Amino acid sequence: MTTKDEKAPLMEVRDLTLVHRGSSGSTPIVRDVSFSLGYGQVLGIIGESGAGKSTIGNAVIGLLAPGIEQTGGSIRMNGIALETLDAERRRALRGGAIASIFQDHTSSLDPLMTIGAQLGETIAALSPDLPRAEVRKRAVALLERVGIPEPARRYNSYPHQLSGGQRQRVVIATALAGSPSIIVADEPTSALDATVQKQILRVLKGLVEEKGLSILLITHDMGVIAEIADRVVVMKNGAVVEQGSTAALLENPQDVYTRNLLSAVPKLRRSNVDVRADTPAGADGNPGQAECRPARDAILVVDNLSKTFGGKSILRMFGTEKPGFALRDVNIRLPRGGVLGIVGESGSGKSTIGRILAGLETGNADKIELNGKACDITYRGRGGGLLGQVQMVFQDPSSSLNPRLTVVEALTECVRATARSGDDRSRSRIAKTIERLGLQQAHLDRYPHQLSGGQKQRVCIARALLAGPQIMIADEPTSALDVSVQAEILSLLKETVAENDLSMIFISHDLAVVQDICDEVCVMRNGRIEDYGTSDFIFGRSENPYTRHLIDARPKIFTR
Amino acid sequence: MTIMTSLRLSQRRIRGALTLPNGILALFVLAAITAPVLAPQNPYDMLQILGWEASSPPGTMSGNGYRYLLGTDGLGRDIASCILYGLRISLVVSVVSAAAAAAIGLTLGVVAAYFGRWVDAVIMRAVDLQLSLPTMLVALIAIVTLGPGVDRIILALIIVQWATYARVVRSVALSEAGKPYVDAVRTMPLSHGRIILRHLLPNSIAPAITLLPIEIGHAVALEATLSFLGLGVPMDQPSLGSTVANGFQYLLTGQYWISLFPGFALFALIAAINFAGEDIRRLWDPRSRSL
Repeated sequence: MTTKDEKAPLMEVRDLTLVHRGSSGSTPIVRDVSFSLGYGQVLGIIGESGAGKSTIGNAVIGLLAPGIEQTGGSIRMNGIALETLDAERRRALRGGAIASIFQDHTSSLDPLMTIGAQLGETIAALSPDLPRAEVRKRAVALLERVGIPEPARRYNSYPHQLSGGQRQRVVIATALAGSPSIIVADEPTSALDATVQKQILRVLKGLVEEKGLSILLITHDMGVIAEIADRVVVMKNGAVVEQGSTAALLENPQDVYTRNLLSAVPKLRRSNVDVRADTPAGADGNPGQAECRPARDAILVVDNLSKTFGGKSILRMFGTEKPGFALRDVNIRLPRGGVLGIVGESGSGKSTIGRILAGLETGNADKIELNGKACDITYRGRGGGLLGQVQMVFQDPSSSLNPRLTVVEALTECVRATARSGDDRSRSRIAKTIERLGLQQAHLDRYPHQLSGGQKQRVCIARALLAGPQIMIADEPTSALDVSVQAEILSLLKETVAENDLSMIFISHDLAVVQDICDEVCVMRNGRIEDYGTSDFIFGRSENPYTRHLIDARPKIFTR
Repeated sequence: MTIMTSLRLSQRRIRGALTLPNGILALFVLAAITAPVLAPQNPYDMLQILGWEASSPPGTMSGNGYRYLLGTDGLGRDIASCILYGLRISLVVSVVSAAAAAAIGLTLGVVAAYFGRWVDAVIMRAVDLQLSLPTMLVALIAIVTLGPGVDRIILALIIVQWATYARVVRSVALSEAGKPYVDAVRTMPLSHGRIILRHLLPNSIAPAITLLPIEIGHAVALEATLSFLGLGVPMDQPSLGSTVANGFQYLLTGQYWISLFPGFALFALIAAINFAGEDIRRLWDPRSRSL
């Protein structure tokens, strides 16, 4: 592939300024942004939320949100300034020369149409004279191109019959229907598991190499950038902080912000991975259970925890459908004062374990003991054995707080609900706690929507803490946050658990995060425990193929 | 937040609420409250009515020394006064019945969503049953069984309306109940009642508030229909609806004013209530407070 970006770039953005005009005056969203995208190049735009990166993508596509205007600069494609084109020609460009892929593969497809019909509709719209058979042939070819297995059969599938990764492939196929020269991909893999993300990125990379496409890749994930981008533009608060070739930028970032961004990405430690080479092969077949169980006693013992779905309803009584297992024979020992990590891909049942232990869902187990006392998990609600002893921190802080309660109201309720005696020191306890968690007194009277994501997550941790639990369960507590905030919240969680003599179960899909924070790790797959052992064992010496597969799915630069 | 900024906020909110429909609605309410002072005649008091001035066109001078601005009906009652007094009945009936129906429907909808399983099944099948019967039929049966009277009408309207609220609120409460903030309070030893009242209900109330003015308007119309059919409020206590009904037989003889003006009042009232509803919904949302 020859890159001719020295001569005439395919797209050139110069001094682009985008302004939001609201009732309270106009605020700049993007200021004086310049970059160029060459033929067959992948240009990554990276930044945290609010950096204006998606707005730039929308400007290139020509779909700015209402109220946002381009007040300066230009976007030139093949030398033609796009902003001078009329609406009609702009629309012709969209879906033609400039295609787009969005994050949410579920809402990008019409649930009532087969994927073939949707693809065919796009093809037919772009070349109306094409006979039907030819449209179908092209659609099948596109599906094959993006790696859908058995495309001719899948042609008649509905979106819900495909996996997330396959749906995103279909979205890419739709984008390819107009034979575009530029694809604007806005967080194309953020909603996908790491292994699937890797496959999708490979599809995109293949398109660049074979068809000479150019991709404008908008993401918050350094891993994605490292994987396929040739050049990177780092953005912060609507302005470009730094840009350059990916290799140079990752090796030697110039700006402080870029450096912080890079160092905030959790990395798998090399030393541990290397240990594997020294270990003699052929460790025993069931290493996890036998391996180095620490001498510490377990605060929580779970034996043969199972959960079924379906099959129990009266309606299905006469059906032949067998009940499915969400969890099957899960054994867990949570060491007192320790952190147990549960990793797995979506649908592996890792969140279900947490929800059962917190008393939010029911399950069946041979034995569940907290501090040596047996607990009943077969029913929900008050009186449930683990209620109040286990508190959760959830993934999405913005929906984890009641929008109608101020911070102090939410926390007071929590203190009152769990107070051992009539406790009127709640306000001072709350004040002390939130201060320890890095919030200020002024935050107490705010509503959740007046706080940032990181602040909201701190409030959630405070709430869990004030309930006086023995065990904290953190279910992907950092996945919805910006990278720089993720690191803060993680270290805060770690300190909090240590300071308050708590034990923690940490649920995540991100191996690097788990490695940093956990003493023991349990790898879940399809509702079963696939691999179990100390953190060092799992990341260093485990021979389990699935564990290795997960570790290898990490973007290369972050495992080195 | 300092006092100054909160003052400025509330000022802006007040100014935002000063719209034409809200003004008209306020005028209606004011007129209904002050009807005994405002109205030249008490149409419920037979002694004040001059039978020989029946069916006078608008603008006629009365023997009692005032002008029949909107004319008189077939019994000699001043239409303007009938509208003022009728407003009282219509507003009380519709607001009370809609509010009570909303409270019942809201509670049942949230309870159904929170507990699920058989509680949900029982409540929602009752809702289905209620909604599958024609509104008018249920109201008629209720009135016939309960007998006439303003309080009975209110009861009949509650029976007719609660199910709509329950259905709308349940769907929202169902999605709210699945959010982690509800999960979070469920992991604490709090009573179900508290979780529902403090967490689930306030966040599921928005559709009920949107529905409320529509249903108030609906109740005004339904009461008018019942009164029109002679099954509504008693003849000696005319509501807007029964005033329209009174003039219906005179329309063909050219005495348009008896039905037309109360009809206009009815229309303006329902329209103003519907418009005002949107403002109420906006004010309920805490996110709009910081704007």
